Amino acid sequence: MRTKIACVFIGFGVLLMVTPVSTHHAFSAEFDIDKPLNLTGKLVKWEMINPHSWFHIDIEGDDGTTVTWQIEGGSPNELIRNGVTKNSLDIGIELTIEGYYAKDGTPKGVGRNFLLADGERLFLGGSAPPAVPAAR
Amino acid sequence: MRLRPCICFCWFACVVLVGLASPSWSAGQETSSNQSYRVPRTPDGQPDLQGFWSNQTFTPLERPEGVTSAFYTEEELAAREGRVAVRESAQTEPGTIPDVHYDFTQFGLDRSQAARAQNLRTALIVDPPDGRLPPVNASGRRQAEIREAEQALLGGRWDSAEANQLDDRCIMMRGVGPPMLNSGYNANYHIVQGPGQVMILSEMIHDARVIPLEGHSNPPDSFNQWIGLSRGRWDGETLVVETTNFNGKNPLQGSGQRMRVTERFTRVADDVIRYQFTVDDPGTWDQPWSAEMPMQKTRGPLFEFACHEGNYGLYNTLVGARLEEQQAAEASLQPK
Amino acid sequence: MRTRVFLINFVTASVMATAAAFAQTGDYLAPRAPDGNPDLNGIWQTIGSAHWDVEPHSAGPSVVRELGALSAVPGGLGVVGGGAIPYRPEALAQRNENRTNRLERDPAIKCYLPGVPRGMYMPFPVQIIQSQEHIMILHEFAGAVRTVYMEDQVDAPADSWMGWSNGHWDGETLVIDTTGFNGQTWFDRSGNFHSDQLHVVERITPRSPETLSYEVTIEDPGIFTRPWTMSMPLYRRVDENVRVLEFRCVEFVEDLIYGHLRKQPDGENR
Repeated sequence: MRTKIACVFIGFGVLLMVTPVSTHHAFSAEFDIDKPLNLTGKLVKWEMINPHSWFHIDIEGDDGTTVTWQIEGGSPNELIRNGVTKNSLDIGIELTIEGYYAKDGTPKGVGRNFLLADGERLFLGGSAPPAVPAAR
Repeated sequence: MRLRPCICFCWFACVVLVGLASPSWSAGQETSSNQSYRVPRTPDGQPDLQGFWSNQTFTPLERPEGVTSAFYTEEELAAREGRVAVRESAQTEPGTIPDVHYDFTQFGLDRSQAARAQNLRTALIVDPPDGRLPPVNASGRRQAEIREAEQALLGGRWDSAEANQLDDRCIMMRGVGPPMLNSGYNANYHIVQGPGQVMILSEMIHDARVIPLEGHSNPPDSFNQWIGLSRGRWDGETLVVETTNFNGKNPLQGSGQRMRVTERFTRVADDVIRYQFTVDDPGTWDQPWSAEMPMQKTRGPLFEFACHEGNYGLYNTLVGARLEEQQAAEASLQPK
Repeated sequence: MRTRVFLINFVTASVMATAAAFAQTGDYLAPRAPDGNPDLNGIWQTIGSAHWDVEPHSAGPSVVRELGALSAVPGGLGVVGGGAIPYRPEALAQRNENRTNRLERDPAIKCYLPGVPRGMYMPFPVQIIQSQEHIMILHEFAGAVRTVYMEDQVDAPADSWMGWSNGHWDGETLVIDTTGFNGQTWFDRSGNFHSDQLHVVERITPRSPETLSYEVTIEDPGIFTRPWTMSMPLYRRVDENVRVLEFRCVEFVEDLIYGHLRKQPDGENR
């Protein structure tokens, strides 16, 4: 059964720190604050897992070889409540990732922003609330 | 199937007003309006608390400095939550720690996009009346010293898995409690009632508390659990849950093993449960303290939060820390 | 005379209807739960050695030498219908390789969620809490949770360890249809496995006040040549004050999983 995302909201690109500061420190230990990344590639798989989801993306290097990168994203649970499923993202779609490289030396990073080919933000874009009140 | 976005533009002012749920009950207006509400019954006659509930909130545990009253007015709350939203939603600066993270809003995990009941209280703590925790007693200070010493033995945070926080290790998160505090995101619960049993499943980390309603005597002191052992009973329309036998390894504001938590769940509207709790721990505080927070009806499902199974982050962080040390050690061996 | 014929017919029809109801479940008709369906509420546990090996197996030595007889494998006549699991040849080779390397590969050793149906026959209690809309199956092992959706049913939105379960009542039997597995669990400690295309149908029927019959059909066409079944009783835990306790095993396996990444005092890391 296919489901569609109703809306991608774009407000002011707002970001909210909702988890304890300790989680941010954990991320800044896993990923290198001095090594920002900006990569574009094709989606191989979106692992809709917890505590954080992982996007597997084929990225062509300068030497022409393709390497599958793993980019960390958020828990998929709220997206699932919004109707997102494992069928929502087509394999092969182009994604641009802005984020930071991992410290463990492997092709890995965290995605600060995930952008579609047309420049739209993937999934949800801001703190703007849904069209219906949050009492669902 | 290609993701088909539609684009809706909204302004900040809407964040606070529309982002709030429109509950039929509000903490701070607990007078005659809710006394007319008749709680539906389960087939076996229990007051029905079943469904999906969120305890996400902007309200802090303790009353902020400079705030003296127990309740905001609606206008004050709107302004305050608006300021919090603006402050928290400022675009993160590249090269700063907050920027090294996925964007919560992109995954719908921010508070503004969560179901929230309106809460006019200035703090979750309602007793002591100043909305702040009572002072920690001598036993509690000793407890804290012991914990600090034990933590120091573990070394730096990235020295081992065990040196990390309980949530990083995927052992438990603060939404399960008891008492159940909001977990930051995915602050959701599923309540299912069977005959003589109430299950409260908290989303992270698929933690199902089962509260038996009858026939359970006091458990032995020598037995303890992370979430203690709970027993419940109905007091009119209110579910009263007593929990003891905590193992003390997940302290609540410094609490210890002698903690006793009493929770009260009352459905005050179709879409709101009033959740109150009292913490009594003579090993940490000389007086009990109490708090309350409304739980707002939300939608499911609570998708499987298999945290430990997917905990690549902890693994990657430890690998990265050891690699950095190795690189630093090699660099220090280089001839100058 | 007509009244007597009517009464005889009425009584006969009633007896036959009741017998039909009994015939489904043997001699036992369970009390009704508050939702009007057969009452499965309670704490249940299997007995036997299916958790070691679902196929027939003789008693055998432990893979952990120091535990000696205490972790040696007890024998079992098997719970698989027909005895052997009908693996495809390449899958059988994989199973045998799993078995040889089970200390390294068994996901349950690392406290990963046990999956379905393995969670039902681990040596830990399972609690069923039954309501009209949801039936919860709560495992003591690793605190695993299954939500069985009885209404508003949808397909699995994403893959998971415990799968996505939709249920319905078929007379006295709860039928649970589960898909959406991530393919990372095993069926037992002996390497019996499946893929993410696993499809499990469980049939749970009260057969006495203290037992349920638990029948499972497994389908995974890429791994098995045909569907196959497992069958075993679930026994009610009748101990006074029995409850499902915590088995929060993550902290028990951290050294096993992350120990090699521990910072060494002398700065040398393995």
